[in-house]
Amino acid sequence: MSFFVKGILLEQKKEPMLTRSTLVMRQEFEYFDCDFPDVPVEELSKEQIIEIARIAEIIDESDGKPLWEKLEKANLGEGGTLIIDAIDDEPYISSQMSIGIHQQEKLALGIELCEKAVLPEKVYIAMYRHILDANFGIPKKIGKYKVKKIGGLYPAEGRVYHHIPKGKNSVIVGTCAMLHLARAAEESRKMSTCFITVAGDAVKNPRNVEVPVGTSVEKILGLCGLNENPEVIVVGGSMTGRAIFEPENELVGPTTRGVIALTRSYGTYSYNCIGCGRCDHACPKALSVSSLRKYAEFGKLDKLESHDVSQCIGCGACSYVCPSRIDVAAAIIKAKKQIDLAKKEGTL
Amino acid sequence: MKENLMFQNAPHVRQSESVVTMMWDVVLALLPVYLMSFFYHGPRSLVLGFCGVVSCTVFSLFGSIVLREKPVPDLTPAITGLIIPLLMPADIPYFVIIAACAVAILVVKVPFGGTGNNLFNPAAVGFASVAICWPEKVFSYPVTMQSIEVFGETTVQKVQSPAYSLALGAVPDYEVLDMLLGSAPGPMGATNILVLVACGIFLIVRKAVNWVSPVSFLASYAVLCVSFPRIGGSAFDALCYELFSGMLIFGAFFMLTEPVTSPKRDFGKLMAGVATGVAVFLFRYFGEFEMGFASALILMNVFSPLFDEACEGVLHVYRHRDSLIRSFKAENQRRKAEKAEKAAAEPVVRVIKKNEQAEKAAAEELSDAALPNDSESFEKQEEVPEENAVSAEDEDIVRQEEPETEEIDLSAENEKSEEEEAVQ
Repeated sequence: MSFFVKGILLEQKKEPMLTRSTLVMRQEFEYFDCDFPDVPVEELSKEQIIEIARIAEIIDESDGKPLWEKLEKANLGEGGTLIIDAIDDEPYISSQMSIGIHQQEKLALGIELCEKAVLPEKVYIAMYRHILDANFGIPKKIGKYKVKKIGGLYPAEGRVYHHIPKGKNSVIVGTCAMLHLARAAEESRKMSTCFITVAGDAVKNPRNVEVPVGTSVEKILGLCGLNENPEVIVVGGSMTGRAIFEPENELVGPTTRGVIALTRSYGTYSYNCIGCGRCDHACPKALSVSSLRKYAEFGKLDKLESHDVSQCIGCGACSYVCPSRIDVAAAIIKAKKQIDLAKKEGTL
Repeated sequence: MKENLMFQNAPHVRQSESVVTMMWDVVLALLPVYLMSFFYHGPRSLVLGFCGVVSCTVFSLFGSIVLREKPVPDLTPAITGLIIPLLMPADIPYFVIIAACAVAILVVKVPFGGTGNNLFNPAAVGFASVAICWPEKVFSYPVTMQSIEVFGETTVQKVQSPAYSLALGAVPDYEVLDMLLGSAPGPMGATNILVLVACGIFLIVRKAVNWVSPVSFLASYAVLCVSFPRIGGSAFDALCYELFSGMLIFGAFFMLTEPVTSPKRDFGKLMAGVATGVAVFLFRYFGEFEMGFASALILMNVFSPLFDEACEGVLHVYRHRDSLIRSFKAENQRRKAEKAEKAAAEPVVRVIKKNEQAEKAAAEELSDAALPNDSESFEKQEEVPEENAVSAEDEDIVRQEEPETEEIDLSAENEKSEEEEAVQ
C-alpha cells in the first residue's frame, strides 16, 4: 500500500537533551512501609511485587493507568510478550529514551521485577531508531533484555504491535514506571516524581528533568532557564501537545512527557488549499484527508462519516506536511467530535 | 513571559516548505526556458514573459478588489503569466497575451474563488481560447535564430511547426537533434526539449511536482504512438517526432502537474496521466487542430475528482479489510455449515422413506399377507424386513445427532478466529 500511504519522517531534534544526563530537582522523597521489609529484592514474589507497585502508587506514563492494575490484569499466558515502551517518536521528546540510556541498571532491575510479576515468554524494549542528530548509538541490550529498534515513519508507536506474534497477548509498560518500580523495591520510595523533557529554542539549557508531580510549568522552565520570551509554550508532545497560556497554573502530572517553549509560533498563512495531496499521502490510516477537510469546512457530517473520519487517530501528520499551513488535523478532530455528539443525540 | 503567549493548534512543529517555496521552485524552473527562448528569438521573448506576469497579476488584483477580498500574496498568477507566453510563437502580438491572461484569471480563476478552487488549468484555457480566436497568429511560428523586433510590426519569416506537418501525415523537415536542441520552429518555450527535461527533473527532485503524472502521461502516449504511427519511417523516429513536437514535454512538466486541477493521490495521478495520454493521442490522430494537449488537459481536468473518488473507493475497502475478511469468513463458514447440514439431512430423509416403505410393506403384509398385488412391493417387502427397519431407526437417531456436533465445532472455531483477529 506504499503507493497510497507514504507517511512522514520527522526531524527528531532530540539533541542535546538525550546526551545530557537527567537533572533532578531538589525535593524530599516520600517513603512507604510494607509488610515484608526484610525480603531481598531478588526473592520478591509475584504478589509482593504487585503489592509494592500498589503501595508506591506507581502510574504508568504511557497510558496513565496504575501499574499494579496493569500487572494484575495482564494475563499473558503462553507466548505472551512484555514490551517496555521507550519509543519517543515525537520531535524534542526523549524522557523515556533517556532513562534507557543513562539509568540502565535501575531500568533492568525494574524490568526484571515486572517480568516476575507478569511471567511473559518474551521481553523487549522498544526504542525509536531514526534519530539522525544523535551522536551515539542506541544500546543493543539493556541488562539482559534486548532492545528492538522501531524505525521509520511517524507515528511509530502503532508499529510496536507488528512485533507481537499473532494471537498472543501482550502488555506495554513505560520505562519511567519501571524505574519507579525498581526504586520502590530497593529503597521503599513512593512515586512522587515524573520525567519531563524541557526543550525548544527559547530554553537556555534544554535537558531531561525529574521534577515532583504537580510542579508548575513556570518553575520547570525556570529550572532550565529561558533565552528570551517564548511565544508559545506547549505541554505534552510536540505533535499532539497543547499550547498553554498560564504557565504558573499549569501543573505537570505523571503522563506529561514534555514542556516545549518556542520563540515563534508557526504562524498562519492566508493561502488556500492548493490541493497538492501531501496530506492524503501523509495519513498513516490512508484517509482522504483533503476531502475530509473540505467536508469538515462545510459541515457535511454524513460525507465525513462515509469517508471513515472515525478512523482518524489525531497524529497531526497532515497538518505537519501542509504547505499552506492549514490546521487540517484540528479541523478533522473537531468534526469527529461533532459526529460523536450527533450520534449521541441521534441526529446522524 | 505571559503577555505575549499565543495559541496554536497541534502539531507545534511544521514542515519548512510552504506554498511560496513550491511556487518559487516552479519560477526557477521556468527561467532557463526563458533564457533559451531569448537565445533563439531575442529580447522579445523576455518582454512577452514580463507582459504575461504583469497582466496576470493586475487581473488577479482586480478580481480580489471586485470580490472585496484581501489579495493573497502567492505567486500563482505570476506562474500562469509565465506559462502562457511560452505556449505561443515568439512574434505573437502583446494583445493576444493579455487576452489569454484575462481569460485565464478573470474567467477561470477568480469567479470560482481564486487559487485552489479553479476547475480548469488557467493557462490551458487561456491558451485554448486565444487559439480559437486567432489561430493564424498562434499557429504560425517564426524561424529560429532571427532577432524579432520588440515593438511595432514584426517582419520575420514564418513557417508551420513540425506538429502541423505531422497532422498532415508528413515527415517534418527537421532532424530529431534539431528538435531536441530547440532550433525547430514551434511554441516559444516548448521546443527546447533537453532544457525542459532538465527543468522537469529539477522540479521532481525538489518535490514541487510529482513524477507520476508526467511519466505516466508520456509513457502512455509513447505506447500509443508506436502502436499507431501517423507517419512512415522507423518507429523510433516517429516516436521522437510525436513526443518532441507541439507542447507535450512542456505541458507534461508544467501544466499537467498543476496541483489544483490534478487528482490528489499517486494512483489517481497515474490514471489521469494515462487518460490524458490517450486523449491527446485521439485529439491528434483524429483532430485537425494543433492544440491537442490543451484540449485533452481541459477535458481531463473535469474528470480528476472522479479519479480521486475511485482512489477513495479502493482505500475504503483497504481500511475495512479486517471486518470485510471477517464477514467473508463468517459467511463462508455459514455456507459450509449449511452444506454439511444438507449433506447430513439427505440420508436421513432416505432412511425415513425407507421406514415409510417398510411400514407400508408391513401394513400391506398385515392386510393381505397371502396375496400380494404387485410383484415389486413383494420384492421390497423381502428387502426390508422388520428387524432392519428397527436398525434403520437407530441410524436415523445417530444421523440426526451428527450435524449438531459439527455445528458446535464450527461455531467454536469461528469464535476463536474472531478473537485472534481482535488481538491482531
